[in-house]
Amino acid sequence: MIANSFKKYSLLFLLFILFGLLAGCVQSSSDDGETTTEDGKTIINIGRMTSANPKFPEGDTYEDNAYTRLVEEKLDVEIRNAFEAEGEDYERQVALAISAGDLPDMMVVGSRDELQDLVDNDLVEDLTDVYEENASDHIREIYNTYDNKPLTDATFDDRLMAIPSTNGANAPQIVWVRSDWLKELNIELDADEDGVITLDELAEVASAFVENDPGDSGNPVGIPMAPYLNAGDYGGSAFTMNSIAAVFDGHPRKHLVEEDGSVTYGSTSEGTKEGLAVLHDWFEQGILDPQFGTRSFDDILTLLTNGQAGITTGPWHLPDWGLSTVREMDGEAEFAAYALGDENGMVNVFREDPTGSFVVIRKGYEHPELAIQMLNLFYGELGNEPDMETKYPEIAEYNQLGVDGTARPMNIEVYRSDSSIVNYQDVKSVIDGEMSVDDIISAGLRSNTTSVLEYLEDPENATTANWSTYHSRMLGWGLMNKLAEEDRFNWIEPAYVGTTPTMEQKGANLLKMEEEDFIKIITGAEPVDYFDTFVEKWHSQGGDDEVAEVEEELAKQE
Amino acid sequence: MVEGNTLSGKLGKFIIYFIVISLGLVCLLPLWNIVAISFSSGEAVAANLVGLKPINFSTRAYEMIMEDAQFWRSFAISVQRVVLALALNLILIVLMAYPLSKTKQKFKSRNVYMNIIIFAMLFNGGLIPTFIVIRSLNLLDTIWVLVLPGAVPIFSVILIMNFFVGVPKSLEEAAIIDGASPLQILIRVYIPVSLPALATVALFSIVGGWNDFMTGLIYMTQVSNYPIMTYIQSLTIDIAELVRSGANSDALQNIAEVSNRNLNAAKIVVSTIPLLVIYPFLQKYFVTGIVVGSVKE
Repeated sequence: MIANSFKKYSLLFLLFILFGLLAGCVQSSSDDGETTTEDGKTIINIGRMTSANPKFPEGDTYEDNAYTRLVEEKLDVEIRNAFEAEGEDYERQVALAISAGDLPDMMVVGSRDELQDLVDNDLVEDLTDVYEENASDHIREIYNTYDNKPLTDATFDDRLMAIPSTNGANAPQIVWVRSDWLKELNIELDADEDGVITLDELAEVASAFVENDPGDSGNPVGIPMAPYLNAGDYGGSAFTMNSIAAVFDGHPRKHLVEEDGSVTYGSTSEGTKEGLAVLHDWFEQGILDPQFGTRSFDDILTLLTNGQAGITTGPWHLPDWGLSTVREMDGEAEFAAYALGDENGMVNVFREDPTGSFVVIRKGYEHPELAIQMLNLFYGELGNEPDMETKYPEIAEYNQLGVDGTARPMNIEVYRSDSSIVNYQDVKSVIDGEMSVDDIISAGLRSNTTSVLEYLEDPENATTANWSTYHSRMLGWGLMNKLAEEDRFNWIEPAYVGTTPTMEQKGANLLKMEEEDFIKIITGAEPVDYFDTFVEKWHSQGGDDEVAEVEEELAKQE
Repeated sequence: MVEGNTLSGKLGKFIIYFIVISLGLVCLLPLWNIVAISFSSGEAVAANLVGLKPINFSTRAYEMIMEDAQFWRSFAISVQRVVLALALNLILIVLMAYPLSKTKQKFKSRNVYMNIIIFAMLFNGGLIPTFIVIRSLNLLDTIWVLVLPGAVPIFSVILIMNFFVGVPKSLEEAAIIDGASPLQILIRVYIPVSLPALATVALFSIVGGWNDFMTGLIYMTQVSNYPIMTYIQSLTIDIAELVRSGANSDALQNIAEVSNRNLNAAKIVVSTIPLLVIYPFLQKYFVTGIVVGSVKE
């Protein structure tokens, strides 16, 4: 009997605890409609895009970190996070917020189409006047380096509806080649040291790598390529063929304006066909990865890491996050950066869309000027403060720790269009002893420069982080600087970078067909002339509508 | 059945063992590979060298997890959620299944309730309406959003109800003769004989709650409130996708640091430990035929 009543009481006890927890756990929601705190600070609720690895120092969070404290102090504002999420989850939270009719006071939207929707539904605040009143000269100058194109992109009916981010990644897709292997095999690549090599030179190096297996892997594969072959933008161009098609002035996955004013889709151009023909030849000769088409992105990194491959294509920052494992595995590994030139030795580069994402302010929010003030603070003042350590010690510490940019309550990129080259010249001046590290204005660049100096002191024993920084900054940026100085760039201007209704409906299928057909052509499952069949299919399965829509959009913009 | 000593019997046994062991290995080896990867150095994993034994033995991945305060915060949230959900689930399942296990004569509107719960099992309001309801109830970012929406798992209710239906009537009648109230009959008779079924639904609840990441993703607006699986999911980023969507170099660098296969493997290992620990404790309830012998026909 005692045991039984004990059981009964324990059940009651459990229920008791449950309800106790229930009462204790109900929190008041952070967004309860207040606009100022008790001590008079303005409240701003922000939708925050986060990173999986923010690298905050102990105790700091997205809601309370050096940047939010700085904003609180400087602008007398309390930042509250309406939501935090990363990547796709952020998009979902934004969609939920819109459908629940409860937008945060400030948030980032990823595309112009999304912004257009918000504007059409009258959900975002007009920023024209607050921008005119508040924007600092420095910010205006940054936008000016893009001929104010980002601001135009954020303008609807002459009203500025969002703060645009900038995208100045105007760079050639770089061919990274293991320079320690070149030395080992006594190959002299790029004898005139202009940074530009031809496809034939690259093919020779690749076949030497396949024959001699300098990585001692037992199974060298030549040049690996991702099965999707082409990237939509520069940042995604790792392991793709963009630069090879560019040699023939083909620009896959881009919309171009022809001389007669008509629009073409780059993947269907003659240049792309020639690029594919080259890759097909390489595949036949065995200097393109024989398992091309089945290798995933991770597989390709693996091939590079275990010494099966020593040539790859990618953006200038590939060493920072991709090639670093190669050096971890093999302390001797070094890469050299080249650009592929066409028959006249020119490097054809597609100019990126200068506008990335947009910061919007909720319609009816009382202090839209805060957005511009944050913009000034983060991208004007902090970017140009020579004495971070004394004026902003916390931010300086963040830069040291490499705290992710998402820590900033306003997380967009705003930098000059020529920043890579200007930055390279600063780093170079320091290395040449023409100026000191402390003279560099941007804190991020100062830490890059210190890394490069550390690497140069003792390249063999340098940390992988310094190795990466040296490769991406000195070799990657250096190549861009060299090409710019020698005037070797042939810039191709984009026709249109948005999304039309047909792209939305049929784009995915068309892209899938494109990727599959290109793989067939390269591996020889279909002859190179099958490309013409692909072009026909592309046009008949929605491509024609797509081009017509782009032409219409362009006519509207004029 | 295959007999012991003849040649064909031995062969049969061999084939049976062969199949069983192969199937066992097919299940075990991938797990073992994950464990080996988690104890290898990052570059060996990137070079695809790790098979069944760790290369360049390293506990760096585990050290990184140990240092990650959010990992343990999320771990605690998941434990809390599983405990709460388990208690609530079992209470509500039993309380709902018992009356529904009675015949229509005894419980007149039984079928109405049955239809309602089956309807609710097959159809739901969809993501956005559910989100709006949860938001209006001020449940966002509380532990309860992980517990309450799934407090009555219909499938488990039906399972237990059917189990109760199968319990011999004589047991209940004997209890009534002894003067037991319906609640006493439920607690003293039905629950003790239904332990195997209850252990099963308990396991459903634990595994389901522990592995669920979607709820956390949708209803938690702050990373600090994520349960463990949501947190791990948010850390495990396909860098290829990120690269294709064109992230900037610093962001890629930071992601490459946490989302490598080595670290991901360690996270998987750590997060499966609680389930591995719980299972043996529940196993003793998986004894069939507990009602056998309680009634003499």
